[in-house]
Amino acid sequence: MVKEFNVLIAGVGGQGVILMSELLGKAAVRDGLRVRGSEVLGMAIRGGSVVSMIRLGDEVYGPLIPLGKGDALVAMELAEGLRNIAYLSKSSVVILNTQRIVPATVLIGKSNYPSLEEVVEILNAISNRVVRLDAARIAEEAGSFMTANIVMLGALSAISQLPVKVKTIKESIQDHFSGKLAQVNLKAFDLGYQACQQA
Amino acid sequence: MKELAISSDAPGEKLFLLGNEAIARGAIEAGVQVAAAYPGTPSSEIMETLASVAKDLDIYVEWSTNEKVAFEIALAASICGVRAMAAMKHVGVNVAHDPLMIASYIGAKGGLVLVSADDPGAWSSQNEQDNRYIAEQSYMPVLEPSSVQEAKDMMADAFELSEKFKQIFMFRTVTRVSHGRSDVVLGEISRERRKGSFRKDPSWLVYTPAEARKNKPLMIKRFARIKEAVNTLPYNQLSVKDGAKLGIISCGISYSYTLEAIKWLELDDKVSVLKIGTPNPLPEELVKKLLTSVKEVLVIEELEPFVETHVKAVAGEANIPVKIHGKDLIPAVGELSTRKVIEAVVRLTKAKPPVDFKDLDKISEDIAPLLPWRPPILCPGCPHRASHYAIKVAARRVARDYGKGVEPVYPGDIGCYDMGVNPPLEAVDTTICMGGSFGIANGLAHIIKAPIVAHMGDSTFFHAGIPPLINAVYNKANITMVVLDNSTTAMTGFQPHPGTGYTAMGQETVQLRAEDIARACGVKFVEVIDPFELSKAIKTIEAAIRFDGPSVVVSRRPCATEELREKKKKGEKVIPCYIDQDKCNLKCAVCVRLLGCPAIVRKEGKTVIDSFTCTGCRLCAQICPHRAIKQE
Repeated sequence: MVKEFNVLIAGVGGQGVILMSELLGKAAVRDGLRVRGSEVLGMAIRGGSVVSMIRLGDEVYGPLIPLGKGDALVAMELAEGLRNIAYLSKSSVVILNTQRIVPATVLIGKSNYPSLEEVVEILNAISNRVVRLDAARIAEEAGSFMTANIVMLGALSAISQLPVKVKTIKESIQDHFSGKLAQVNLKAFDLGYQACQQA
Repeated sequence: MKELAISSDAPGEKLFLLGNEAIARGAIEAGVQVAAAYPGTPSSEIMETLASVAKDLDIYVEWSTNEKVAFEIALAASICGVRAMAAMKHVGVNVAHDPLMIASYIGAKGGLVLVSADDPGAWSSQNEQDNRYIAEQSYMPVLEPSSVQEAKDMMADAFELSEKFKQIFMFRTVTRVSHGRSDVVLGEISRERRKGSFRKDPSWLVYTPAEARKNKPLMIKRFARIKEAVNTLPYNQLSVKDGAKLGIISCGISYSYTLEAIKWLELDDKVSVLKIGTPNPLPEELVKKLLTSVKEVLVIEELEPFVETHVKAVAGEANIPVKIHGKDLIPAVGELSTRKVIEAVVRLTKAKPPVDFKDLDKISEDIAPLLPWRPPILCPGCPHRASHYAIKVAARRVARDYGKGVEPVYPGDIGCYDMGVNPPLEAVDTTICMGGSFGIANGLAHIIKAPIVAHMGDSTFFHAGIPPLINAVYNKANITMVVLDNSTTAMTGFQPHPGTGYTAMGQETVQLRAEDIARACGVKFVEVIDPFELSKAIKTIEAAIRFDGPSVVVSRRPCATEELREKKKKGEKVIPCYIDQDKCNLKCAVCVRLLGCPAIVRKEGKTVIDSFTCTGCRLCAQICPHRAIKQE
């Protein structure tokens, strides 16, 4: 029995955050797990910060992960990883894509953007395990820069505490994409999985 | 493994669903025959889901021009004895409010359900209104689910209840249910399809004063029966714990946060809980049972103290000496969370909070200065960016003739173009409601002396833009009204509308044009522009503003996201722009400072265009003073 495992996926609108939680949630249901989740669609997806939550386990009721109760944070973008640290604790695992998406507000001097060193230092101070990945590069290696989200899903699957079977997540990827696209995405998943294991 | 679908008749099987899909599934199981809506976050996916299976399941589904019409479609079906629903966001119910207030007197023949998708936190809305009050005012019982599974189950029952009590039911969902996800156990799909018929009955359906006076007492009687019945509905559940001093009453999604808080605080045996699934009317017998069993009560609900006020009335009437807390401890602003519930419960018990939330707040505060401000923005290649830019350049030119320091005013509306309020565009001065831009412009015209250029999208124009346009003609308001026509309802997920030439069910239909409507309404200056032909667009808008009398400009260019999808389908290539670094004067950065296009980025000290995100719209190429932006 799984009591509670909370996954927070953060990124910028357009990075495929919602698809990641759909694939993970579908796989979890196939594995017979109880799943709760939430996201904000609409206004928030147009290039803004996006957060999707997937909560697994028999003792989960609400759609939102309580602060400090995140077990895994998958950050598709550097600054978005930092933005969500209040959900973390010592035991959380952070998988951080080091890609930077710098908004126009920074270019015109109306806000700041943190350095990689700053982000990693703060994350390391809060959580015991921070895995850094260049998901864009790995995605290119898999055959398409569009698969960075699947690379990150692969990396998440390498976390031993995740109660969803790797095989089932791969099945849900296989079902979602057709033909050649499925092959590219499965490769992206495997490369992400390996990269996380080696990190 | 055979993949299940939303229309699979597979009772007992599980599907992973979005809350709105679950609501649609509930309606499918109930055998809904007519469903109408106007899109609006967080409600849109309900009708999209129904539209996707409409033909297979023999359901009539439509995107109506606005929520009032959508509700009237459903009401008409109900009057004919057919099960029907209308779905809309919370502020959409304001638009449907007029027929709603009379429909309650009529009641329901075929089960009739109004889905109101409220948005605590105003994630995608202009306010946080609580539609339980609209329901109360119109004697409309409210079903409010606490989870995605319950949303499906309640919706499946709602039509039956509506028929049994002959009353219209409101199904109130909130963002965290509508856009929540969960495994959902399916029920059986009803295949019953009724043949509706219209029976003439003026004493029931023609509302002159006599009918109002005759039917209102009948409505009150129907509601009284419902008030009795809700005490035994499964959506209201009372769990009294022996010796508990504190009782919690939780409504809708708040119940899920309550369960989490009680578990986390290890108070399972110490707190009695009443779960409310029908806030209007309250299950008063259950409320009384709880009130008499405890010393103190905490009412947990999002937004306004609706349940709280009624619980206090029940306590007062029955003379139950119990202290009732609610909005003194639970915020009325924003959505709730497990944390907010814990903080309130801790105040009333000696429980110790499981984590120090203040510590977590401190961490968030400390990092805030490091984080980029990332407001939602217009997509790369969005035609609204060009329209906003053209309107501003044109209006400022004209403003100079009004005198020194005169600023043009840009009343805005509801849609993606609302994001033009953010820097660097800063091209929106008011956003109030659907169609509000033209209305506000009408009013301003009689007060201020400055160019007034209002804008609204095409879908918004058909929804609520035509009456204020006629008003401008009739009352001689000297304003310019720009219709930003991107041929879709983009903000809510690209739904079709009367200007697109096809319906929710994919049928081809007449394609209405904003310019034809404007001319027919008596506007004497009507022009159509392509915002990507920038200098021509600016000239035309300038002429429109200078025109003496109301003028209309239709700025027509398909939504960039939709166009990219089309190109991909046809195998057409996107040719991005690039910056010739030999010609670029780095210091000028006009493209960055004026447009805020996410495809224009800084890399290694240079301004470059990201070839993956650029759509090749050439807007930046047209404003670059050094002619450094080119397209291969």
